[in-house]
Amino acid sequence: MIDNGLLVQMLLGALLGLSVYLPLAAGQLSLATPAFYAVGGTLAALLSTRWSALGATATGGFPLPSLLLELALGGLLAGLLALLVGRLVLRLQGIYLAIATIALVEIVRVAILNLPFTGGAVGIFAIPQPFASAAGYLLPALALLALAGWLCQRLDAMPLGRAMAAIRDDELAASCMGIDTTRVKLTAFVLSAVLAGSTGALAAHFLNTWNARQGTFDASITTLAFVILGGSRTWLGPVVGGLLLTALPELLRPVGDVRLVLFGLVILLGPVVAPQGLITPGLLERLGGRGKEAKP
Amino acid sequence: MSAPLLEVRELSRRFGGLLALDRVSFAVQTGEIFGLIGPNGAGKTTLFNLISGVTPPTGGAVLWRGAAITGQAPHRLNRLGLARTFQNLRLFDGLSVLDNLLVALQRHPRSSALAGLLGTAGHQRAERQRLDTAWQLLEELALAAMAERPAGTLAYGDRRRLEMARALATRPQLLLLDEPAAGLNPAEKDQLCQLIGELRQRHQLSVLIIEHHVPLLMRLCDRLAVLDFGVRIALGKPDAVRRDPKVIEAYLGTGSGTS
Repeated sequence: MIDNGLLVQMLLGALLGLSVYLPLAAGQLSLATPAFYAVGGTLAALLSTRWSALGATATGGFPLPSLLLELALGGLLAGLLALLVGRLVLRLQGIYLAIATIALVEIVRVAILNLPFTGGAVGIFAIPQPFASAAGYLLPALALLALAGWLCQRLDAMPLGRAMAAIRDDELAASCMGIDTTRVKLTAFVLSAVLAGSTGALAAHFLNTWNARQGTFDASITTLAFVILGGSRTWLGPVVGGLLLTALPELLRPVGDVRLVLFGLVILLGPVVAPQGLITPGLLERLGGRGKEAKP
Repeated sequence: MSAPLLEVRELSRRFGGLLALDRVSFAVQTGEIFGLIGPNGAGKTTLFNLISGVTPPTGGAVLWRGAAITGQAPHRLNRLGLARTFQNLRLFDGLSVLDNLLVALQRHPRSSALAGLLGTAGHQRAERQRLDTAWQLLEELALAAMAERPAGTLAYGDRRRLEMARALATRPQLLLLDEPAAGLNPAEKDQLCQLIGELRQRHQLSVLIIEHHVPLLMRLCDRLAVLDFGVRIALGKPDAVRRDPKVIEAYLGTGSGTS
């Protein structure tokens, strides 16, 4: 029932879940992930179809090093955009930040739709393929997810991650403890954007075509649902949420049109049944996964 | 004579039509325990917020060792050596007691984010040093037994001490304590009084303390300032302040029953 193509999509979903999680770990509700995803994807689509130096072949093949370069460039461009935008929007708090980031998603969507070189509503198609089949994408998607997971895991054990957790609990108290809260929030926002940008670059090749519909407000809500269902207190939560909620609509396909209703019900009932999300620090502790440093 | 550690010069703060602080001036010398008393609404916490950068003043200046620091961001002031506690306790409730201190210790010692990501030897050394300091502070403030518990689950008195430990972890030269004895019973108040004296010795602190409990301040402080309706009405040694007729009228009441 789960084929390789769906598996890749699930991994991409998990990556986008982590992208929403990172600012949230610093208490910032940003819905900008699809904007950065769209920026990364559009850049990869443009580069691989227009820039022959990257080595796209006449038969639609694409060298692996060029793909890696695109992942890096997609992340970089999204990160730069986040750096510029973040300075402005991170002054806002709570729901106001969420609204400003929705505006960013819209601006990027309309820009991609109307720019002279992004292919309008049709978008960019025949994006060259570095792999012969969907299975080939599993490895880079898994590698990217492993890298992102490792980053989140490391954050927990270093000052930056602790500063983020402190800001989530009480921003004023954190700043009175010497934490440059603006800088920490901006760092989390940029990390989130880099991750979404790289994910977009990979997705552009995987999907073969790319257009403005890849980064919409709908996607903002879906990716937020990954985090809400999975849980926002550990990085494993959004990963599980992203995997499950990406798979669910496909797995429900046999039941026909009711599937979207069922999908909606899961999103609706998830927070009722598990308000903290499916994966909580308490659960991980019970599973014996992560012991904290004991008293020396 | 060298410049005082902290000087507040003609400091004012207006909230709309309310003048919460009206040209208040005083100075805290190095090593001193300086008390700030006044009835409810006198502007004590507002003054703390101005000094710690939480609220910008509408007039006047704050000086640190003679240099103006008025209106700087709280994290900058903390890095200068000025740490505070909050009257209504603002711990990181979701984090463990130990993590509350590690947050405050993040610049002691400093380590780069790259080293942290790679988990280099330098980063591990810095983390060990932070842990050592944190445990030392926990022992010192009798919090070691609850180190792993979320800060939000502690009893009230423990939470008060954890706030002090967290402020101390940032290595301040001046500690601002906002009603540290609020909600404590008389025995706990005595212990706190002793603790503050000890901490001053061990950490070479100067202390600026807001307190309602007047006998505690009289015992503890080298000097006192008294605020009433945003105006400083008295300043001096505890004995002199106690006898000041203006203070007696505004705050201590007339005649007996001063606490």
